Amino acid sequence: MSALVAARGIAKRYGARDVLRPCDFDLGAGAVVALLGPNGAGKSTLLSILAGAVPPTAGHVEREATVGWAPQRPALYGRLTPRENLELFARLGGAEATEVHALVRDLALERAEPASALSVGMRQRLNLALAFLGRPQVLLLDEPTAALDPEQRERLWTRLDDLRRGGGAVCFATQNLDEVERAQRVLRIEDGRLVP
Amino acid sequence: MRAVALLLRKDVLVLRRSPLLLGLLVAYPLVVAALVALVASYANARPRVALVDEDGLPAELVVGEERFDVEATIDRVAREVTLVRLDRAEAEQQLGSGRAVAMLVVPRGFVADLRSMVRSPELELRTTRGALSVRVTQQVQALVYELNRQLQDAYIDANIEYTRLLVEGGTAAFLGREVEVLGLDRARALLDELPPGPRLDRLREFVRTARAALGETDEALRATANPIELREQPAVGRSWVLSAQAQAYAATLTIAFVALLLAAAALAAERDEGALARLRRGLVGPGELVAAKVALAALAALVLGTGLVAAFGLAIELGDVEGGQPWARVPLVAAGLALAGAALGALGALLGALARDARTASLVAVLAALPIVFLGLVPREIAPAAAAAADAFPFAHALRFFTSALFDTDPWGTVARETGWLALLALVYAAVARVAVRRLPA
Repeated sequence: MSALVAARGIAKRYGARDVLRPCDFDLGAGAVVALLGPNGAGKSTLLSILAGAVPPTAGHVEREATVGWAPQRPALYGRLTPRENLELFARLGGAEATEVHALVRDLALERAEPASALSVGMRQRLNLALAFLGRPQVLLLDEPTAALDPEQRERLWTRLDDLRRGGGAVCFATQNLDEVERAQRVLRIEDGRLVP
Repeated sequence: MRAVALLLRKDVLVLRRSPLLLGLLVAYPLVVAALVALVASYANARPRVALVDEDGLPAELVVGEERFDVEATIDRVAREVTLVRLDRAEAEQQLGSGRAVAMLVVPRGFVADLRSMVRSPELELRTTRGALSVRVTQQVQALVYELNRQLQDAYIDANIEYTRLLVEGGTAAFLGREVEVLGLDRARALLDELPPGPRLDRLREFVRTARAALGETDEALRATANPIELREQPAVGRSWVLSAQAQAYAATLTIAFVALLLAAAALAAERDEGALARLRRGLVGPGELVAAKVALAALAALVLGTGLVAAFGLAIELGDVEGGQPWARVPLVAAGLALAGAALGALGALLGALARDARTASLVAVLAALPIVFLGLVPREIAPAAAAAADAFPFAHALRFFTSALFDTDPWGTVARETGWLALLALVYAAVARVAVRRLPA
């Protein structure tokens, strides 16, 4: 099984601090991987590097598939409405306008107020919707269920399951042990070290 | 290019949804422009000059047969400077401390020398170092010129009177003594009473020639005294408030603050909102991100600056003010506004990338804008080093561009030179900003 995302020797250092120590990581088709670890262990940094949002200090990442990314802190424009955010990133990424309509409908994001005025849960739904734009084959999600209500959580797991069955892959960071059961493989990160 | 257009559209939308920020961005530079205008008018305020009268100038002075109102002359000078009567010690103390910029001394014997009409009396002027002393020197020179003009009339009249005395004869006061002068007319009458002879004929011929020559002295003396006369015409043209200079200052100041602040804050906000990390994932390159902020600054400068120029033009039209062409140069000014906005925006983008968050970026932009603006206002002849430093920033070039575009009959040389400077600075700052954005942590 060839890896959709493969990282070799990736590491990240901020000043004198090693946030992520050199490690390899593969995400194959149909895989669902959970990243587990305490706060500040390096989970978010690993996902950001895999997503291409943060350049590694060392090593490299190869992506054989389109990748969607939802950071822990929603990355969006607070003064734009959810639809405007989705339309902007869809145009920048070359996604179709019909996709925006579908995401707004499926995630109940049709709101007139700007994103900064939305509830935390709504903002997280918008954050996830932005990750789903372009129908990526790989999803990298940082604590995706945080602030979601139980119904939205179930919808999310259903969507991720559909992706896995369609040959895609998911890697998510969590601190919730119940959610680890959704994964086929669990990786622990401690003090910047990836522990299989 | 498409990414730049999409980000620009987003930034304009965000700006429209922030009416308070938009209002502040427009109002703040206008307030600063008004304050600078106040400071500029303060620069035109009257400098303090100490008058040390050691000779006890009388209220009225008679020279020849001319009467001079000394108080009125002093009042006339006091319109240009604040004239304060002090004794020498206090005047020297104030001059030393810089409280007075100059000290004008009327030395002992001044009035006596003036009345004697033989020796030129002297006034003593001492100034501090600095730009104001040049103005004071010029004003005192103008005063001395004016006094000399009035005195020379008295001196000429006195000289003409002496000439008349030489021709007609009579009694006159000279160096404080009464003297009896025979006069050429009476000399000729006496010569006529003597027996004729060749030597007497030569004397008669001399008296006739001398009398004819002295008869022409009046006009010759007056013409020698005033080879060129200056005739003053009534004032015309725009007042300072509506002048092309004020218009150029207001437009440049406004766009400097708006472009710097907007570009810096907009770029830093991308990181604040976390959007930078998402954009970096192959959606928008660092160059495109900087270009979007430069375009935003150029657009804002164009809209605001054109509005200001139009407001000035309307005020000139409605006020029926003569002088200048408020509308003819608008297209040229608009092009300059966009270019200057882009150069200032590139500098703002660099500040935004270095500051890293929107609040710090806004503060840094304001802190940077003020010295850049004031550096650009320092005249080259007063501080060449400051003017050379100002060349490294877009403000001084934008000011020169607008002043020339709005004011000069033939602005193309200056406009071409400053366009080159602004384009170069825009490219340099944008290139450095691109590097800074690339190094910016997500």
